[in-house]
Amino acid sequence: MAVEANADNAAILRQEIARARRRGWMLFGRRLARHRSFQVGFALFFVIVLLAVFADLIAPYDPNKNDYRSLLAPPSMAHWFGTDGFGRDIMSRVIHGTRVSLGIGISVVVMTGILGVFLGMLAGYVRWLDNVLMRIMDGLMAFPGVLLAIALAAALGPSTMNAVIALTITFTPRTARVVRSSVLVIRELPYVEAAMAVGAGHARIIFRYILANALSPLIVQLTFVFAVSILAEAILSFLGVGPPPPAPSLGNIIAEGRNYLQDASWIAFFPGIAIAAAVLGLNLMGDGLRDVTDPRLAAERGAG
Amino acid sequence: MAKTGRLGRARHMCLAAAAAAFLGLSSATALAQTAGGDLVVVQSSNPPSLDAMVTSSQASRNITMNIYEPLFGFSEKIQPIPILAESVEISADGKSYRIPLRQGVKFHNGKEMTAEDVKASLDRYVKHGATQSMLKPVEKIEITGPNEVTLTLKEATPTFLEAFASPRAPAVIIPAEEASKGPNEIEFIGTGPYKFVEYVPDSHVKLARFEDYSANEAFEGIDGFGGKKTAYLDTVTFRVIPEPGAAVAALETGEVQLLEQLPVPTARRLASNENIEIYENMPWAFLTFIFNMKEAPGDNPKFREAVQVALNNEEVMAIATEGLFQLYHGWMYEGSTYDAGDVGKEYYNLADADRAKALLKEAGYNNEPFSILTDSTIPEHGKAAVVIGEQLKAVGINAVINQVDWPTALNIRLQDQGWNGWTLMMGIEPYLGPAALISTLTGEAPHFRANDEQLDALYKELIATDSVEGRKAVFAEIQKRLYAFFGVIKVGETGLMQAARADVKGFKPFRFPRVYDVWIEKE
Repeated sequence: MAVEANADNAAILRQEIARARRRGWMLFGRRLARHRSFQVGFALFFVIVLLAVFADLIAPYDPNKNDYRSLLAPPSMAHWFGTDGFGRDIMSRVIHGTRVSLGIGISVVVMTGILGVFLGMLAGYVRWLDNVLMRIMDGLMAFPGVLLAIALAAALGPSTMNAVIALTITFTPRTARVVRSSVLVIRELPYVEAAMAVGAGHARIIFRYILANALSPLIVQLTFVFAVSILAEAILSFLGVGPPPPAPSLGNIIAEGRNYLQDASWIAFFPGIAIAAAVLGLNLMGDGLRDVTDPRLAAERGAG
Repeated sequence: MAKTGRLGRARHMCLAAAAAAFLGLSSATALAQTAGGDLVVVQSSNPPSLDAMVTSSQASRNITMNIYEPLFGFSEKIQPIPILAESVEISADGKSYRIPLRQGVKFHNGKEMTAEDVKASLDRYVKHGATQSMLKPVEKIEITGPNEVTLTLKEATPTFLEAFASPRAPAVIIPAEEASKGPNEIEFIGTGPYKFVEYVPDSHVKLARFEDYSANEAFEGIDGFGGKKTAYLDTVTFRVIPEPGAAVAALETGEVQLLEQLPVPTARRLASNENIEIYENMPWAFLTFIFNMKEAPGDNPKFREAVQVALNNEEVMAIATEGLFQLYHGWMYEGSTYDAGDVGKEYYNLADADRAKALLKEAGYNNEPFSILTDSTIPEHGKAAVVIGEQLKAVGINAVINQVDWPTALNIRLQDQGWNGWTLMMGIEPYLGPAALISTLTGEAPHFRANDEQLDALYKELIATDSVEGRKAVFAEIQKRLYAFFGVIKVGETGLMQAARADVKGFKPFRFPRVYDVWIEKE
């Protein structure tokens, strides 16, 4: 009897916890949806993601199709954003360029996320490793971010993969640092201690109790990594160490337009707008996420 | 004292000319040259050296050819003419060149040029010259008089004088005491109309008029690299501005007076600007596409032929040169001495995809990657590579672009592996003539890596033939051979857009910006 009742209770309790968690997420979602800058950022970014995903359907021309009969044509009905020095349609190149840029951005976010979580967790959880790992991270962070990425990309040679590697190495220390600091706080909290006391394994403690609770600052950090890596990719491409030609990325379209700023300003202008929109969108989303996940800011808002 | 005297005289002459014009005494000469002023010339890169002998860089030549002079140089019509030499007397066996020197020629340090200086300079060229091979046929250099040297060749070399006059890395004459120094260790002292003042890397090179310049009175006016040169400007500043946009802006505001090169679309825009004069320097260079004949798939002549017939040369040229181009299949400029006529024309600018595909099949091409080496430093190279790449993809070649910077490209192309095709502009070689051009495709390190024995044999025949007619016939054979094994594709010919402020007078486009016989008109 007593055993059954206990089992029932446990089941009920588990359901309650699950419900509370769902409610928490719903509340989080609703707060986010109400957050003005998140709305704007999300809308902006969503449009760009749509462009990138459906680039083949949306782009009016093949982005690499040369046409020497219409070199440097200004914006017109045939070419809404004009053409470049190869006679290629800028609008098609910008649309396909967002795909390349977002692709690089997402790859960097994923790789930085994995590496950053792994290293941050290791440093925060395994105390004796902390000093070693974090000094290495500090060493990497001593270089100005973009400069390190440029140096790495130049050393590795121009390719999309190398750009991703260079940016990942550049942004991983910052992410690892954020994760580590969360882990250091969370590992001392009573519920982690309780989990240890009931004999939970390291894996369970790390993933279930620590990582789950370190997620929100990580997500905020990763949205910024996303934004910064789109910008950094543009910088790398602009300097000629990004994806090789003729692949359009927002940065190398601008690089090609640089020499025509006075004679064909549209070449650099439109990809510039696209970069600005993508980065602005991501930053606004990041701000929204930060506001909503930060209990202090949320409390202030609630009180106000 | 001497300086002011000279300058004074120049001023008097100007005054006299102005007075004459005012009185209507002179009509044609009313376009009086005015002395004075500083001309600022812009080029995009630093000169790697101002020691003219040791570099073949155009950025250096632009400046050094105003400071130094060689014994012989090319005329406007690309014939060797004496510059510091008075003349030349070639012995009947073709082995001895007696060269009397012009007398009273002064170096910028005030000393007079002697046969010792000439011998020392040529000896230095043999040691440190960037294109030493041009003195290879010379057995000995002797002083045969106070104002005379004699060059004795190992064997009769009919093309010797042509090669010796080459401006690529000119065999300029410098004082004997400088000639004993190593590369880049000399004081920059020449005999030219302008003398060196200062070089601030990444900023500028400053030259000043050489008051004691002895002009070559045997000529009426300037002619190619030689002729009678007159320096009107007080100073000339060669400023280095890498960014074309910044250079153009500086020209538009009048901060600088002459652009060595500007983008073609910008030149078109500026054509209507009455303060700016546009100069079209055409033809300037060949745009070529070179195969690596040591690595698959470019080691197969059928594959190379497929690329040749696949190319739409017009599209490549139109995009790579931004519209400043002409199409010609010949490996010498149309109408020039060695122009071989229609030889090879049937392979040029075909854009024949079907034939290319058939040839690829015949070649057994199996979608191996075809890596096109190019650089972003010289825009024509990078753009041509992109267009060629797209055209090759269209016929089923797996073309990939490897764009690096120019020094890296120069390094990679010297390897037998790691590249399949390479875009290259040949500026000075076709200008210098068949021997200079074909020498890059034969010998120890031909551009396409593997030697073509027939071409090597034809080249030897070319330089051993002693009549122009004979050389013409050999060159026609060479062109035929080039269109038989397809180691290199001539894509087309391009020009150079130059621009100056409208008050800059007397400027005539040439292989380098001649700043002598140029003056700034005063309001």
